[in-house]
Amino acid sequence: MLSVEQLTKSFGKREVLRGIDLAVRRGELTVVLGANGSGKSTLLRCATRLIDPDSGVVTLCGETLLEKRGEELRRARRKAAMIFQQVLLVRRRTAVENVAYGALGELPLYRSLSSKLFPRELRQRALEALERVRLAQFAQQRASTLSGGQAQRVAVARALCQRAEVILADEPVASLDPRAAESVLSLLADVAHDEGLGVLVVLHQPELARRYADRLIGFLDGGISFDGRPDTVSDDEIALLYVEEDDEA
Amino acid sequence: MTRPELTAPIGARFDLWRWTKRLAVVLAVGALYVHAWNNTDIAPAALVSGAHNFARIVGDMFPPDWSVLGASIRAATVTFDTALLGTTFGLAVALLLTPLAARNITPHRVLYELSRAVLGIARTIPLWVSGLLFLVTVGISPFAGVLALALETVGVLTKLYAEAIEEMDMGPVDALRVSGATRTQVFLHGVLPSVATTFVGLVIYRMDSNVRSALVLSAFGAGGLGFLLFNSIELFQWPQVLTELIVMFVLVLIVERASILIRSRIS
Repeated sequence: MLSVEQLTKSFGKREVLRGIDLAVRRGELTVVLGANGSGKSTLLRCATRLIDPDSGVVTLCGETLLEKRGEELRRARRKAAMIFQQVLLVRRRTAVENVAYGALGELPLYRSLSSKLFPRELRQRALEALERVRLAQFAQQRASTLSGGQAQRVAVARALCQRAEVILADEPVASLDPRAAESVLSLLADVAHDEGLGVLVVLHQPELARRYADRLIGFLDGGISFDGRPDTVSDDEIALLYVEEDDEA
Repeated sequence: MTRPELTAPIGARFDLWRWTKRLAVVLAVGALYVHAWNNTDIAPAALVSGAHNFARIVGDMFPPDWSVLGASIRAATVTFDTALLGTTFGLAVALLLTPLAARNITPHRVLYELSRAVLGIARTIPLWVSGLLFLVTVGISPFAGVLALALETVGVLTKLYAEAIEEMDMGPVDALRVSGATRTQVFLHGVLPSVATTFVGLVIYRMDSNVRSALVLSAFGAGGLGFLLFNSIELFQWPQVLTELIVMFVLVLIVERASILIRSRIS
C-alpha cells in the first residue's frame, strides 16, 4: 500500500534517515519503535511530503509521490491520513465537523466555503465514521471539550471519513492515560483488520507494541535494526534501541 | 573545588574595560537627552510666564456654547462613520492579503516579501499625508478620510493578523494539508477558526483607534468633528470649542467602552 525505498534525509550535517526501506501492508498494523531522534517522525513526514526527503522513492497505492506537485500531489495524498501526537483537531469546531474535514480534498471550493455548505452525503458519512469509533453521541460537541482519548478517536474517524487507505500515526498515545491509549490502539488495530487499511503507528511503549502489532520495526540512528512479526523479535533487540539515548544525555 | 569561579569574592577585581563601557553608555544617553532638550526648544520659563494665556483661554471657554451642540453631534456621527467604513474596507483587504503575508502559510516566498513591502509602505505614510493626497484625489469630503483610514488599517491589521497566524499551532493545518485539502480550504477550516477571536479583537481595537485618528483627519478638511473644532479655534470661539471637546470626549469614551465590552465578550 505504502512503500518507501532508499529514503534519505539530512538536516544540515545530521543524517536523519540513511536509506530506509519499509512497506506498510493492507490489513496490518505495523508498529515502529525507536528512541527519540532516531528518525521515526521524519520518516512519516517524508512519506506524506510534509517535508521533502533528499532522495528515495515513496509509493502510495501505486503512485509515486515524490515528483508530484500541486494538484496531482493533493490528489495522491488523499489516500493517506496522518494522526499526530498532540491531537490536532480544530478546537473551536464540533467533532462531526472535524471528521468531515477529512473529505475537504474531495469538495469543490464553493461547497467547502463553510461547513454549512457541506453536502448532506458527507455529513452522513462523517456521522457514520464517528459511530465507527463509538463517539456518535459527541457529534455536536466542540473538539475542545473532548478528552484526549476521545479526540484521538475523532482523528481516526477523520481518517476513515477521508477514505484513506493508509493511516500513519505519529505517537498517537504519547499523551494519553493507559486506558485511553489501549482504546486508541485497539481501534487502530480494528481499523486495519476489519476495514483492510494499512496502518503504521510510531510508539514508545514496547509492551503495547507487542500486544497490538502484526509487525514490528526497530529504528536505530536513521536505519532499520529489525523488521518482522512480534514473536520473531526478542526483548533484547528492542532494549538495544533505547541504549544509545542515555549516553547522549 | 570543581567550580573555582563561584568561590571568588564578589567584586574582587576592578574590571577597567567593563567600567569604561558603562561610562560610555551613560555619557551617550546623557548626550542624547541634552540634544533632544535643545532640539525641541524646551523652555520652562516660557511655560510659567505664558501660563496666564492658557488660563485665560480656558476661562473664556465657560460657559460652553450649547447652540453648536446639534451640529457637533452630527459632525461626530460623520467622524464615527468615517472610522467605521475605513475600518471595514481595510478589514476586507487585510483578510485577502493576510494569507500572503504570513510566513508559514504564504504560497510563495516572493509573494510574502512583496506583500510585506506593500504593507510596510502603507504603514509608513503618515495618516495626514495620505489624507491630504486623497483630499486632492476625491475632493473635500469624508470619503477621503475613509480611504486614508482604510489604507492605514490594511497595513496595520494585515501585519497583526499575519503575526497571529505565524504564532499559531500549525498541527491542525498540517493535518488538513496531508488529507489533501486545498490551500483555500486549509485557510478557511484550519487557520481561520484558530485565530478568529484574535482577529475580531484586533479589528475592534483598530476601530477604537480609528475613531481617534478620524478626529485628527477631519481637521484637515475631511469633514467631521475635528473640522468644526479647527474652525472654532481659528475664530477664537472658545465657548464653541468647549462644547465640541465635550462631544468628542463622549464619543471617544463610548467607543472605547464598547470596544472593551465586545472584546471581553468574545474572549
